Amino acid sequence: MVTPRLGHDNLGLGVGLRSTHYPYILDNEPDVDWFEIISENYMDSQGRPRYVLEQIVERYPIVMHGVSMSIGSSDPLDFDYLDKLKALAEVVDARWVSDHLCWTGVAGRNTHDLLPVPLDEPTLEHVIERIHIVQDVLQRRLILENPSTYITFAQSTMPEWEFLTRMAEETDCGLLLDVNNVYVSSVNHDFDPVEYVESVPHERIVQCHLAGHTNMGTYCIDTHDGKVIDPVWELYRLTHKRTGGISTLLEWDANIPPFQEVHAEVLKAKQHMSDQLTSTTTSEDASSIVSEKDDAPSHAIPQPVVFVGAEVE
Amino acid sequence: MSTGHELNVVQRWMQAVITNPEGIVDGVASEAAQQEIALDPATIESFILPSKRCSSIERLSVYGNAYFARLIECLAGEFPTLEYALGEELFGDFALTYLQDYPSTSYTLGNLANHFVDFLVNSRPQQEEGEEPQWPDFLIDLSRIESIYSVVFDGPGEEKVELISAADLQQIPAEKWGGIRFNFSDSFRLEVFDFPVHEYVTAVRKEESPEVPSPQKTWLAISRRDFIVRRQSLSQLQFNLLKALLEGATLSESIEQSLNELTHEEAAGFDELAANLQDWFANWTAAGWFRSLNCD
Ligand SMILES: [Fe+2]
Repeated sequence: MVTPRLGHDNLGLGVGLRSTHYPYILDNEPDVDWFEIISENYMDSQGRPRYVLEQIVERYPIVMHGVSMSIGSSDPLDFDYLDKLKALAEVVDARWVSDHLCWTGVAGRNTHDLLPVPLDEPTLEHVIERIHIVQDVLQRRLILENPSTYITFAQSTMPEWEFLTRMAEETDCGLLLDVNNVYVSSVNHDFDPVEYVESVPHERIVQCHLAGHTNMGTYCIDTHDGKVIDPVWELYRLTHKRTGGISTLLEWDANIPPFQEVHAEVLKAKQHMSDQLTSTTTSEDASSIVSEKDDAPSHAIPQPVVFVGAEVE
Repeated sequence: MSTGHELNVVQRWMQAVITNPEGIVDGVASEAAQQEIALDPATIESFILPSKRCSSIERLSVYGNAYFARLIECLAGEFPTLEYALGEELFGDFALTYLQDYPSTSYTLGNLANHFVDFLVNSRPQQEEGEEPQWPDFLIDLSRIESIYSVVFDGPGEEKVELISAADLQQIPAEKWGGIRFNFSDSFRLEVFDFPVHEYVTAVRKEESPEVPSPQKTWLAISRRDFIVRRQSLSQLQFNLLKALLEGATLSESIEQSLNELTHEEAAGFDELAANLQDWFANWTAAGWFRSLNCD
């Protein structure tokens, strides 16, 4: 019997920490429940990002979210990276450490993208073996997120939710369910997002991500540049119901508005938690939403883009 | 049912395809991709499935379009003034070539630009001996100062250690001054530029749309205080003096060395030094450049 959220606290409604919001957060100590940080932005920092983080750690629970573990790569794991990740997790007293089911590069390179793995037996075995190693190094459970993906490998033999379920059950790792990514991928791969959310092991979901995306007409891109759309809120309502409530975080990474606006967007989750499930989105609905409008800016870049610029006198 | 390609082969193929600067179709046809999995536009759907509304090539293009765009955006974030000077398009061309020559091999985007200055130096058109600094030198200077700002901003600093104060300096008896050696702050850097790029960078950051400046030898001290990067322009004599001190010489050795290295009149330098030395050290101490000192 697995306990809900693998025994982790429900931290409430959090916001992804971004450098543009540093001054506001330090000056106003906003009443946000928790922050998620991009691990790689702080692992090596000896300057202002790290200093700001130290102050935020004093006041808020912190969760670490990484983009470079590359758990699905055929390259060897980077133990130097894992050691730094572990050290940071200790310093910030991270409630948990997450990354994505993806690979970021091969042959020593990093594309800095979250690339999809073939969903087949050999890859599942490979990922399971590496999660065991990572959990040994970190001395804690790893939490893995479903990424937004844009291609399907013909050699895949199972849906992503089945891959995640078997992976999590085999390694006892946790899941970060990004309901926006479920939606984006459901549009891109013509699957039913409700079936996906219904099928993942709910008691292993430790955290949830919400975000905005860009509708390109015939597919969607995960751009984290706007508000959460209604079909994604519907998936959130379903997730909330099935999990009994989980730590919920809004990611906003491009065209970032003032902090209050980002915070207000995640606070909308409260309303959805108390709402009864109404109609649920099916893949048919999803396609009709996609074909309705085309709001794609030509420069839409899928996440992640995580660079912190220098502050000069 | 046929078993799939090995993960390593799949990943090498996909990386070769989506990082090809000519696009996905050329990427699939490239030698790097072909030696992993031999596919062409007619057979690609046997490996990457189409969706209801997108072809395999269109789907792969999402990754292909994102790869350079994302990394060029990161470089632009680190070199905003260089991008302003070059214009977005030309900056993008330089960045695109750079990313092909030096693809990221690090877990952090903080290392993405590690070779960017060297890349620009090596791209510089051949120059005549003794020629005045030109437009390419201005661009190289800009890339250098922005790169230094990045390193100093997030590198080691002294915000949490006690630095020496003006009072510490005053306690040193006059006869011991010549034998002082200074330990500099970790963030402290001395740099020479052919253009007053520090002013140009500041003007661009303030959105003042500055003109490209004329060449002018510029000596700068760059350091960090209270987590913000600070820069101060120096006279040649000040620069020489600080440089000798930074290299570990005593104050009297440094004074002698710095006067010898002047390109203008040594006597004028001596007058400058005699009139200002105390003020200089008071200012430099207040600026937090010195961690500690010791007397011979
Ligand atoms: Fe996410």
